[in-house]
Amino acid sequence: MPKPSDLLQGTLDLLILRTIARKPLHGWGIAKRIQTLSGDTLSVGQGSLYPALHRLENQGWICADWEESDLGRPAKVYSVTPEGRKQLERELKSWNRLSSAVHLLIQNA
Amino acid sequence: MRTIRIIKRRVHSLLHRSHADADLQREIEIHIQQLTNEAIAAGMTEAEARAMALREFGPIGQIQEKCRDTRRVSWIQDFVQDLRYGIRMLRQSPAFTAIAVITLALGIGANTAIFSLVDAVLLRSLPYRDPNQLVLMFHVPLDRPDALSALSYRDFTECRAQNGAFSQMAGNAFHDLTLTGAGEPTIVNTADVTPEIFPLLNAKPLLGRTLLPEDGKPGAAAVAVLSENLWRSRFGSNPGLIGQSIALDMRSFTVVGILPASFGYPEFAPHQDVWISVLQDPLFGPLTSKPGVRVMGVIGRLKPGVSLAKAQAEMNTLGARLAKEFPAEDSGLTFRIRPYRQVVVGNLKPALLILLSAVGLLLLIACANIANLLLSKATSRGREMAVRMALGASRARIVWQLLTESALLGLLGGVAGVLLAVWAVSGLQPFLPSEVVQIGSIHVGGPVLVFALLLSLAAALAFGLAPALLATPSNLQTNLKEGGERTGQRGGRHVRSFLAIAEISLAMVLLVAGGLLIRSFALVTSVNPGFDPNNVTEGEVSLPQFQYSTPQQWTAFSKELLARLHAQPGLQDSALAAPLPMDRQGQPSFAFSIVGNPPLPPGNTTTADWATVSPGYFHVMRIPLLRGRFFSEQDSPSNPNAAIISETLARRYFVNQDPIGRQMRFGFPPNGNVAREIVGVVGEVRDVALSQKPGPMMYVPFAQSPLYGGEVVVRSSLSASSVAAAIRQAVHSIDKDLPVTDVRSFRDALGQSISRERFRTFLLGSFSAIALALAAVGVFGVISYSASQRTHEIGIRMALGAQRRDVLHLILGQGAKLALLGLGIGVVLAFLLTRFIASLLYSVSATDPLTFGAVAIVLLGVAVTACYIPARRATRVDPMVALRYQ
Repeated sequence: MPKPSDLLQGTLDLLILRTIARKPLHGWGIAKRIQTLSGDTLSVGQGSLYPALHRLENQGWICADWEESDLGRPAKVYSVTPEGRKQLERELKSWNRLSSAVHLLIQNA
Repeated sequence: MRTIRIIKRRVHSLLHRSHADADLQREIEIHIQQLTNEAIAAGMTEAEARAMALREFGPIGQIQEKCRDTRRVSWIQDFVQDLRYGIRMLRQSPAFTAIAVITLALGIGANTAIFSLVDAVLLRSLPYRDPNQLVLMFHVPLDRPDALSALSYRDFTECRAQNGAFSQMAGNAFHDLTLTGAGEPTIVNTADVTPEIFPLLNAKPLLGRTLLPEDGKPGAAAVAVLSENLWRSRFGSNPGLIGQSIALDMRSFTVVGILPASFGYPEFAPHQDVWISVLQDPLFGPLTSKPGVRVMGVIGRLKPGVSLAKAQAEMNTLGARLAKEFPAEDSGLTFRIRPYRQVVVGNLKPALLILLSAVGLLLLIACANIANLLLSKATSRGREMAVRMALGASRARIVWQLLTESALLGLLGGVAGVLLAVWAVSGLQPFLPSEVVQIGSIHVGGPVLVFALLLSLAAALAFGLAPALLATPSNLQTNLKEGGERTGQRGGRHVRSFLAIAEISLAMVLLVAGGLLIRSFALVTSVNPGFDPNNVTEGEVSLPQFQYSTPQQWTAFSKELLARLHAQPGLQDSALAAPLPMDRQGQPSFAFSIVGNPPLPPGNTTTADWATVSPGYFHVMRIPLLRGRFFSEQDSPSNPNAAIISETLARRYFVNQDPIGRQMRFGFPPNGNVAREIVGVVGEVRDVALSQKPGPMMYVPFAQSPLYGGEVVVRSSLSASSVAAAIRQAVHSIDKDLPVTDVRSFRDALGQSISRERFRTFLLGSFSAIALALAAVGVFGVISYSASQRTHEIGIRMALGAQRRDVLHLILGQGAKLALLGLGIGVVLAFLLTRFIASLLYSVSATDPLTFGAVAIVLLGVAVTACYIPARRATRVDPMVALRYQ
């Protein structure tokens, strides 16, 4: 199976890591938060959110536990592992590089 | 840390799959519940909200499948599941499984059996250190570089002294001696060697020592090295045997060492019991002083880094020098070196590679057949696959599953094939050509099993991949819509037709090869050998050298023996000769000159094969006299030397002359280079092999040129066994200690001489028969499937007025089209490939039009017959039923 390498996929990982780096959250919460924080411009489809969460978990960047939640019953709450934080830094860096490159390109084109 | 976490998770999800799946289910349920709650808050009814949430969430099955895929251990679970599923599928259709496994078993079994031969003959390494440095050396006439002969002892010592390219060189000859004392007298296989052979072959003694250079010098004490087997069986493994003496041909030898059973030379010969210096042998010892007698086999070890070409160049120089220095014996001769391995496996290699290619083709046909079966199955499973893909299974996942099924089938076929091969190898053992048996034990061992396993998997991939790809549609919707029945049908039909065509063309190649060999074999067996082998029995008598040391004694013995045979009723027609036709291995041909002809230019030589025969020989063998007379009792040592030549020699060297009364000069031990008067010309005899055209041949009277033994031949209407008994009795009445060996009917001897041809003809013939059957099954499968798919069409045609005959033609025509295409391709392939078996053919061209034509007709006939059954069935279709048929 090819590694997810396209921009969107990578971006989703980054958004998830960034979102739960502040505070552990369950899937529903992550989806909502990304939507709210982006001013409703970004909507994460469940079709990619859950596979992405499971992939990150399987890669060891995040971990999950069933905890009591604001939803009124136990939910699977995801939090970033120490390695995940480092991964987040790397992804942030590469994202900054990429976005500034794209920015430059658009400006000068 | 991260790694540990990952591993923990994967192990967890592997072991607690249902738990992990339940977690996932719950997680998703919570999400959907939240969506529902939001929708209710927005004012929907609960049912509406739930439906809306489900819609918004998307395809749950697919999402779950994607989440599972991220676990990365899923392949193990998938594999186990696929395996279970595969076993279930195979058990569900036992007929399909049985046909596929039998087909594969035939293909893999044939490959495994042939590979076990290849392994034994070509791959297993020789049991000597650096075997690639080992070469054998031969003396050959300049004009006949393939007439390999042994060296004289003097020439061997000359070669040994010349040591530019060789680190070591050793001579050897083989002789049977009688071991007496300590129990019954027995014949022991004795190797007469020069001591260099032990370091050359890196032979280490089990006990004591091997022969030292001093033991090989003239006048040294007689010492012997025994084999471990002889030491154990005859001397009870007594370590005190070293230093004691044993008697060989009534002469005392001191035992100096024991060689381990693992050592033997040549490694394919019947194992040697005793090793002595060649100078100590009662027969060969005295012959070493005769420079014209070539009895030494010579093995050399090339210095590291010395090429064969360089060594050969050096030997050419030496050969030229010896020819100049010793013109009497060596003029017209040169040396030829050949790699040891090449001599051992020699002419087996091309035949084995051809057999291996043939079974390869057979397996391809088998794979094509199974691919066809799988395609039919896959088509009917198309809807199942489409549904599974709709539920979230990826295409790769389903292809994997189908390939797992194929692999399972392949392994089943492989196991059955190996069993078949084990059975075939043990069953074929008695029919193996003798040189194959000698080279090494043929068994289905480790490397062969690995080969069979890899072959099974490769075959599984070969027959499984295309059906798997075709069964998994790339466009889901059309498939679901069309009800899946027609999945991959268009592509499938092409692939099926292609497979049938490929099968026919491959079968054509195999059948042509088999046909050519069969035709060639028929020609060889029906060739006139120049004599009549029926009702002739032969037996070999060899005289021990100590009791019978002079040529006079040899002559006297032969006279006495023949007199006793002639005295018995029914055995009057008997004679003595050496060597007999087909028994000429390693016998050197002699250079000869014709008295009265101008001398040949230097470097040129004329050579001929020879035999020494008693007067009755030509009559016993029914060799016709063309001119002059046969030998008679008058051709005795006291009368002028006589010779009889073959028609070929007469025609080639006495052009437009009468050879009778002329003299020719050639050496024959023991009476040297003497002139002999030609008294007769006889018909030519195939004396080397049935498939070899007779060369020039000369005969001398046994009484004038006796040997220390010979072959008794008796033509009699009595049974072969009573003749054999009579020969034994006659020999034993003269000397009760003389062994008579190799007693058999001449027919059997002839049969043995063509055992190699018979073996490969039998094998290739069987392979092509299997190929024909498989191709017929393949064509039948394709046509009957296609006919059943066209039931609807046929119904319409019949409703519109088509007759049964038209339908028959329609289906048969489709089959014939495939068959003709296959035949066309097959003829071209066969035309390109049969040249590789040209060297195995006797007087048949590799592109023999008769064979090609006959094979094409047979194949076409079989293919059309295979189509006839489904075609008949199609004509019986009731138009009303067919029209309703979907």
